[in-house]
Amino acid sequence: MTDSAAASIAPATAASAPAQASAPQTPKIAVRGLDFYYHGFHALKGISLDIPTRQVTAIIGPSGCGKSTLLRVLNRIYAIYPKLEATGEVLLDGENILDPRYSLNRLRSKVGMVFQKPVPFPMSIYDNIAYGIRHHEKLGRAAMDARVERALRQAALWDEVKDKLKQNALGLSGGQQQRLCIARAIALKPEVLLLDEPTSALDPIATGRIEQLIEELKRDYTIVIVTHNMQQAARCSDHTAFMYLGELVEFDRTETIFTKPARQQTEDYITGRFG
Amino acid sequence: MHATTAPPEPGDTDVDLRGVRDARHDRLFRYALMACALLVLAALLGAAASTAWGGRLAFETFGLRFLWSEAWDAVNGDFGALVPIYGTVVTALIAMTIAVPVSFGIALFLTEVAPNWMRTPIASAIELLAGIPSIIFGMWGLFVFAPFLAEHVEPWVNDHLGAIPGVGALFQGPPLGIGMLTAGIVLAIMIIPYISSVMREVFLTVPTRLKESAYALGSTTWEVVWDIVLPYTRSAVIGGVFLGLGRALGETMAVTFVLGNAHQLSASLLMPSNSIASVIANEFTEAYTDLHRSSLIALGFLLFVVTFVVLAVAKLMLLRLARREGA
Repeated sequence: MTDSAAASIAPATAASAPAQASAPQTPKIAVRGLDFYYHGFHALKGISLDIPTRQVTAIIGPSGCGKSTLLRVLNRIYAIYPKLEATGEVLLDGENILDPRYSLNRLRSKVGMVFQKPVPFPMSIYDNIAYGIRHHEKLGRAAMDARVERALRQAALWDEVKDKLKQNALGLSGGQQQRLCIARAIALKPEVLLLDEPTSALDPIATGRIEQLIEELKRDYTIVIVTHNMQQAARCSDHTAFMYLGELVEFDRTETIFTKPARQQTEDYITGRFG
Repeated sequence: MHATTAPPEPGDTDVDLRGVRDARHDRLFRYALMACALLVLAALLGAAASTAWGGRLAFETFGLRFLWSEAWDAVNGDFGALVPIYGTVVTALIAMTIAVPVSFGIALFLTEVAPNWMRTPIASAIELLAGIPSIIFGMWGLFVFAPFLAEHVEPWVNDHLGAIPGVGALFQGPPLGIGMLTAGIVLAIMIIPYISSVMREVFLTVPTRLKESAYALGSTTWEVVWDIVLPYTRSAVIGGVFLGLGRALGETMAVTFVLGNAHQLSASLLMPSNSIASVIANEFTEAYTDLHRSSLIALGFLLFVVTFVVLAVAKLMLLRLARREGA
């Protein structure tokens, strides 16, 4: 198992690392000097990092290090609460989303989010998916059906729910609910998908399915995942950011972070010496 | 049962005795609790039965005609409940029409919109409003609010709303100040605290992550409230609304002051009328004939029936909603 995993990583590294070095693509999201204040508490300190297009970027770090906060800046979900303030720049395709003129509706149709615990809306499976779409597009019955089916297929849920689309989504299992939430997010055809510890409330089998899904989704979406689980970051991400006490300690290709990190702090965290 | 699960150790019979004693205490405790609950049921049935018994003379004399006769003639002994029932229902409806949307707005403001420093003071102010005795509302309604309406609001209502074909009939008539509209508005102010506190409490129970999920899909605050918060809390919200309605139907003092105590059936909301509770409050001391007194008690019984029917309808509605959910 370990051997084959190592073997499968090795060629990928060899193949993609030079490509990365020779043709540095423009990042999907570029964070520049981001500071975040939470009721006066300085939660993020001068964060700068590039999130590459159509790859999985993992953010790891001990509890309270600001990794979820960083994620919540990327779609400005923090803005629904008073007294939270972000300064600096977060460029999505070159446009600063922290600019108040950047419409929240537009931002959230481009950047989808999946939360820690599965949160189906109190409505049918079908309506859970259609709900978000209706905020952004006017679709006819047939077009909507097609979109719902496509989203559920992409989230690998279609076969399990196709016969009970009209049933209440709360009747699904935890893992199914979380895939429903992913389907709900990708139904809007976003460009970026933010996953905030998406498997922390799931059993190992459901977790495996979600990780497999992430692998498939990165063909179409830029994915940022916050995780407590370092194996998960190692398994399914291309780049990893290690954060500690509101600062970005190290950001590099995942293999580098997990095999020869540049900073002692990173190595200590990864080898389980603290955190 | 206790003995089998915890076999006594040698030389220790306490375990056995204790088990028996505990079981007896538990049984007594359960009986005591049941007695408390039955007390409520007994009080309810007792009140219903005694008003029905007290009103038997009226029911025997007038039969079912008592329900739809608009007569109320103490001299000739001819009584009917139509006007009070009508006044009760109409004033309660006016109150609900105003109070439900306003309470909804208050509760939403306090849970979703207001900055933190404003939430507690406003919530406390609402609770204080609930604590004001109804006689104060009655006095304020009669001496302050009714003259204000008569002078500034009702002439405008007459001119503008009264001219609309169809619903215009509701708003025609002399600007007296007192009447069903005034009573309805005062009632609305009185029940807003109840409805809005219940709504606020239940809105607070909506999980943050549910709201955040909706915001993350691009919903506006209004959409989150309408599509997520309200469906999630629906049965409790309806419960709060009916709590308010129950109070509006039975409120006595404030309504007695501003409703005008007039036994007449009129389409116009500006006209004075009577409600069940206000008729009883106004006439009990002057009811010298047995039939008059019995008619008043019969009215009391009808108030029971009206409230019961309203609450039963509410329960049925909730059941039907729940069943549709489950399907």
